[in-house]
Amino acid sequence: MTTAYAQRRVAPAPPAPRRSPAVPVLAVLWGGAAAVIALWWHDTGSVVGTAGWLTGAGRIAGLLCGYACAVLVGLMARVPLLERRIGSDRVTRWHAMAGRYTVCLLVAHIVLILLGYAAQDGSSIVDETITVLLDYPEMLKATAGTVILFAVGIVSARAVRRRVGHEFWYYLHLLTYAAVFLSFGHQLALGSDFTGDVPARIAWYALYLGMATLVGWFRILAPVRLNLRHRLRVDSVHREAPGVYSVVIRGRRLHEMGARPGQFLRWRFLTEGMRWTSTPYSLSAPPRPDLLRITVKALGDHSAAVALLRPGTRVWAEGPYGSLTADRQTSHKSLLIAGGVGITPLRALFETLPGDVTLLYRARTVEDLALGGELEAVARWRGAKVLYALNGSHGRRPDLTTRSLRAAVPDLDAHDVYLCGPHGFARDLYEALRTAGVPDNRIHHESFEL
Amino acid sequence: MHTLKTNRPLRRIVLASAATVSGMVLLLSLKPHTTPAVAGSAASPAPSSGSSTSSGATGSGGSATGTRTLTGDSVQTRYGPVQVRITLKSGRLTDVTAVTYPQENPRDQQINAYAVPQLTREALTAQSADIDTVSGATYTSEGYRQSLQSALDSANG
Repeated sequence: MTTAYAQRRVAPAPPAPRRSPAVPVLAVLWGGAAAVIALWWHDTGSVVGTAGWLTGAGRIAGLLCGYACAVLVGLMARVPLLERRIGSDRVTRWHAMAGRYTVCLLVAHIVLILLGYAAQDGSSIVDETITVLLDYPEMLKATAGTVILFAVGIVSARAVRRRVGHEFWYYLHLLTYAAVFLSFGHQLALGSDFTGDVPARIAWYALYLGMATLVGWFRILAPVRLNLRHRLRVDSVHREAPGVYSVVIRGRRLHEMGARPGQFLRWRFLTEGMRWTSTPYSLSAPPRPDLLRITVKALGDHSAAVALLRPGTRVWAEGPYGSLTADRQTSHKSLLIAGGVGITPLRALFETLPGDVTLLYRARTVEDLALGGELEAVARWRGAKVLYALNGSHGRRPDLTTRSLRAAVPDLDAHDVYLCGPHGFARDLYEALRTAGVPDNRIHHESFEL
Repeated sequence: MHTLKTNRPLRRIVLASAATVSGMVLLLSLKPHTTPAVAGSAASPAPSSGSSTSSGATGSGGSATGTRTLTGDSVQTRYGPVQVRITLKSGRLTDVTAVTYPQENPRDQQINAYAVPQLTREALTAQSADIDTVSGATYTSEGYRQSLQSALDSANG
């Protein structure tokens, strides 16, 4: 690993910070919603009486819901632009937010349309529901799709999500594709904005086929290609600290994968009990042409099983994803703050980030400092500083406040801060850093909490 | 917004709901709320309308005392054209058939499946085009009325 430091005589200038494409992407997504509303506006003559208001609102809700379904699928298609430039965590949060909104729109669509039709026909809501369900084409399929979407929505709600297994949640979530497919038919067969309007139909097909292509390409073909090309296998497993293990993975031509320090991959170990779970773990060292390394803390069943992996076990990986990279740098000075196993991406960045780097590592005890020896070695090579924040005697927690941070790093507000650790830890430090005058655009953080 | 900023989910839910509801209400309220005159209707009752070959009221057979069949104008409505054919026996309206009416999508089919027979009953009772709008089928009713009127006009004219 010393080769990385051969050129480190002169501090390399940080690259010009690349702007995140979040704003243009959001603008496109909102623009699409506006276009959908414009379609309704164009096709709607007058809104007469209660029935007119109800069906009108129901149609707007339905159109927006159909659009949102496509967006939801697209956001999770693992498009590199979204995953690496905007950040997987941020895109996932958008997806979750849009998902909740979509379920609400779906409820509104169903209720408003049925009430509106019932008012128009002067029949009861029950009769109208039966007529629509049984006599209208594509409605049975759409109903099945709706049931799936509601099930996914319920299982994803925070309160329920905590109680169900990850696999159950994940595989139910995959059924969303079926739900979207099932409900697509009724949109074109019954949507009065599509029945007579050929350009609108074409646009709708293009939207859905476009999203299907993104999913097929980036979620299926790209991973297949990656794994065929790189042939990943477990090389060795090392204990780093109590309950913390590093897994070294061997593969071919790994430099062509384009993984960068600070990024992660989704790993699936093809062995008993782990085959069906894909878990994101950050690279804990800069990738080498033949080796990758991750470091995992035994928190759940899956991460505990990592310690028992046998050399030679085949590995299926997807990625690289994540935007916590050198691209986010805006200045010559960086402060990396790690909480516990949050050290993993920062360990890789600590070796490779250009400029002056300081690492602040929070752990309970000296024994809990995973990768400590390596960090010291890197610090010596590149003349960087490592600070530790350990519990004092009697388990007293170190104080990580604005004042203590300023004392440790005097020109704190001139630094880019890379932050990785448990959510509460990251939250507290964020507040302390903001108080110290570090602006939002210099606090770089990635988290998988929704 | 920074991902670590304390977010207030409740406030966001309230804001999103309020924005959506008010947006929808605004959109709907900006649309006209009266039953509009059927599109193109102003001109179509005139027998000299452009596509007179297909839409002009045409009659066939019989004298004023016998059985006559006449086809009314094709009246363009928002959901498609409406055209009726009438049968007159000794000047009395004995049958009205809707030749064309919107049935492009199932919703139209459902509405017109009850609206058209009801309009026909009304017309036979009234013996004129002076018939009520069927609720839920405003456009079809308006088109039906105009096409019927044009057929009756050509019978008398």
